[in-house]
Order: sequence, then structure tokens, then C-alpha cells
Amino acid sequence: MDKSFQKKHELWLSINFASFAINNEEIKSKLYDFAQIAFRHMKWLSSDILESGNNYNYDRDTTLYKRDNVFEIIKALVDEIKNIQQFYPNNILGGRIKTDDNYLLEYLSQILKDETNNKKITAFNMQRKWLDKNLAQDQIDALTLFLFDESYKEYELILVYAYMQVRTKNLTQYNIFQDLIDESHFHLKSFANMMAELGILAVPRQLHEMTYIVNNLDQFIKDGIAEEEAAKEMCKALSDAIKDEELSKFFDFINYQESYHIELMNKLLT
Amino acid sequence: MYENVKMPDGISAETLEHLMNPKNYGKLENANCIGVALDEKTKEYVIFYTLLDNGIIKDVKYATNGCQDTVVIGSMFSEMIKNNDLDYANGAIAKMHEKLGDMTPQQKICAEIVFTSFIASLKNFDNLKDGQEEELHLLKMKDSCEAENMPNG
Repeated sequence: MDKSFQKKHELWLSINFASFAINNEEIKSKLYDFAQIAFRHMKWLSSDILESGNNYNYDRDTTLYKRDNVFEIIKALVDEIKNIQQFYPNNILGGRIKTDDNYLLEYLSQILKDETNNKKITAFNMQRKWLDKNLAQDQIDALTLFLFDESYKEYELILVYAYMQVRTKNLTQYNIFQDLIDESHFHLKSFANMMAELGILAVPRQLHEMTYIVNNLDQFIKDGIAEEEAAKEMCKALSDAIKDEELSKFFDFINYQESYHIELMNKLLT
Repeated sequence: MYENVKMPDGISAETLEHLMNPKNYGKLENANCIGVALDEKTKEYVIFYTLLDNGIIKDVKYATNGCQDTVVIGSMFSEMIKNNDLDYANGAIAKMHEKLGDMTPQQKICAEIVFTSFIASLKNFDNLKDGQEEELHLLKMKDSCEAENMPNG
């Protein structure tokens, strides 16, 4: 089994969750851009691996580290990027990935030079308080369970659709999978940033192959539509339960996005 | 870390820790028996890996595509039975019911799918011992959390 994909998958998660954990908006945004680049690396690596007759899976060694400050997160990221270099292929793709990583290392070194960046991390404090919102405890509980369920679900969807996208020869399917992946990236980012706000940021659990190896696409899509319907209901229930106009509008907005996902998925059936 | 955090009644610090970092989650490469419990209606499954040695559960892991209740119960249950013998494990299911207290009907089904997957792994162990060729043992759930008369949890 090719290890380059697994290591890239782990690094993609690490950059993503560094972005979610850090409160500084400029660093958060920049790291998220790098995470998106890392995800494209994953996509290209998976394609290359399959073309060469090899295979990859979604196994990973990612543990939740509740780090205390920004520099701890950045230093761990630097170490991980340095360690991954040995796994990249010696070809044009490997060269591209290495130059991207080098630029990220340079950016991280700049962060580490400025001690004022070394703020405390609150994303793991488990306090479940949203400072500028006055949410009752039952609303916080409902939001907590929703965020854990849906952040996992979005991670699962990103990986399952990516797994199918790289294997399809049908351009329409390819494009629809890309749209669904892009949408789930946005949802994962939104939910994970909310989890960080509440102090309950957690890396979604690993996918088992029973989840992502799909033998019957039509049945998978039909089940997926039923799940989207359920997610819409959850969004609506949460929107009704949360007595905060901004959050309530956000969950309505997500609810309408889920409606269009169902349209996209129906196109996969035709 | 979580021991010092004061939590509301709804979600305890222990539950939150299991949510953030489920214990024994993933694949156990050296398992000598594997069980799967499947809810055919929702397609929810739990796969349970067990390493049994002279009646002692040396190691366990589980994975699921299910909801957070399933994840938390799987995390608690696997911690409870790990490094204990089979007699203890058989009693652990009753202990888990005590530990979990009042559950909604949906949560009860989440608990059952975890326990059933463990029982399936033991059935796989027995079948392999009897010389059967079986990669894993599958048990289908009688009740689904999508049953029409199931109230929301």
C-alpha cells in the first residue's frame, strides 16, 4: 500500500484543524488555503496511484492533540511537513507538492518569528460557551451533538465522493462529485470553526472501508438522499430551537444548501 | 484535562471526552475475531475487532458510520471490557445499561448495535475454532432507529 496518500491525508487534516483551532483570522484564513492545496495534492496523488496500478485507503494515524498555544500547533505542523517529504514520489507531481510544502514551511517560520502570534488556544477547553451569544444550556447541548454528528458526516462525504470521483470515467458524475466535495468542505469548515468557538474542536473519526467502498452507486445515492433529508430536518430543528437570529439564519442557509445537494444527487441517478 | 471542567447535566464531561476523542476507535490489525452488527434500514453498522487470548479480551477496537450516541457507547463499552475476561464482558452489557441510565428508545438501539457487534465477534471466534471459514460474523439488527413509531431522541 502506497504511504504517500495516507501521509498527505494526515497532513491535510493537520493543516485544516490548525486553521480551525487558531483564533487569529489572518493565520486561520491562510492555513485554510494551504489545507485546500493539500487536499488537491491528495486528489492528484490518488489519481497517480491508481494509474500506476497501485491502491490507497483512508487509514490514518491521527490523534487529537489538545495543544495549549499557537506555537505548539505550528511547531507540530512544521515537524509533520518535514517528515512527510520522504514519502513523495520523484516525479513532476512530487516536485510540485514539495515546492508547495516549502512555501508553507516559510510561512510557518514567519509566524514563529513573531511572539505576539503565540496566543492561547481555546478550541479544546470544553467550556461550551459562545462569548457573544446568550444560548440556554439545552440549546448548547443540541448544538454540541449536531456539530459532532455533522462535522463527521461532512468529512465522510468529502472522502467518499473523492473516492468515487477519482474512479469515474463519466464527466457529469465527475463534476457533480466535485460540487458536492466543495460544498462539504465549506460545511466542514463552518461546523469545525463553531466547535472551536465552543471549545469542543475534534478531528472526525477515521472512515472504515465499509463506509467508502461503494459497490452499488445508485443505492448509495438513494441512501445519501435519505441522509440529506435527515440533515435538513436536523438543521430545521436546530434553527427553530436556537434563539439566536444569526445562528438560526445560518442553519436555515445550510438547510437550503442541503436541498440543492439532493438535486445534484438526483442528477447522478439519471 | 476534563476532570476539572464543570459540565451541565445534559452532556457530562466524560461523555464530551468520548465525543472528542473516542477510545479504541479504528481497526485492530491483529484481531482474531471480527463481528458486524447491521441496521439494514438505515445502513448503520458497527464493526467490532476482538483479540481473545485464553478467555481474556487482550485488545478491542470498533468503527461505525453511526450517530454520536453509538460512538460514545462504543467508546465506553470497549474501555470497560478491554483486559477483562469473557465472564466480565458478558456482565458488562448489564453494567453498561446501569451506567447509561435512562435512555431514549433511539439510544437503546444505539447501545444494542454496539453490544450485538461484540457478540458477533465472539460468534466469529467460535465459528473459526470450529473450523469454519468466516472472515467476519454478521448479525442483522431486529430493531431500527428509523422505526415508524420511534420518538425522536
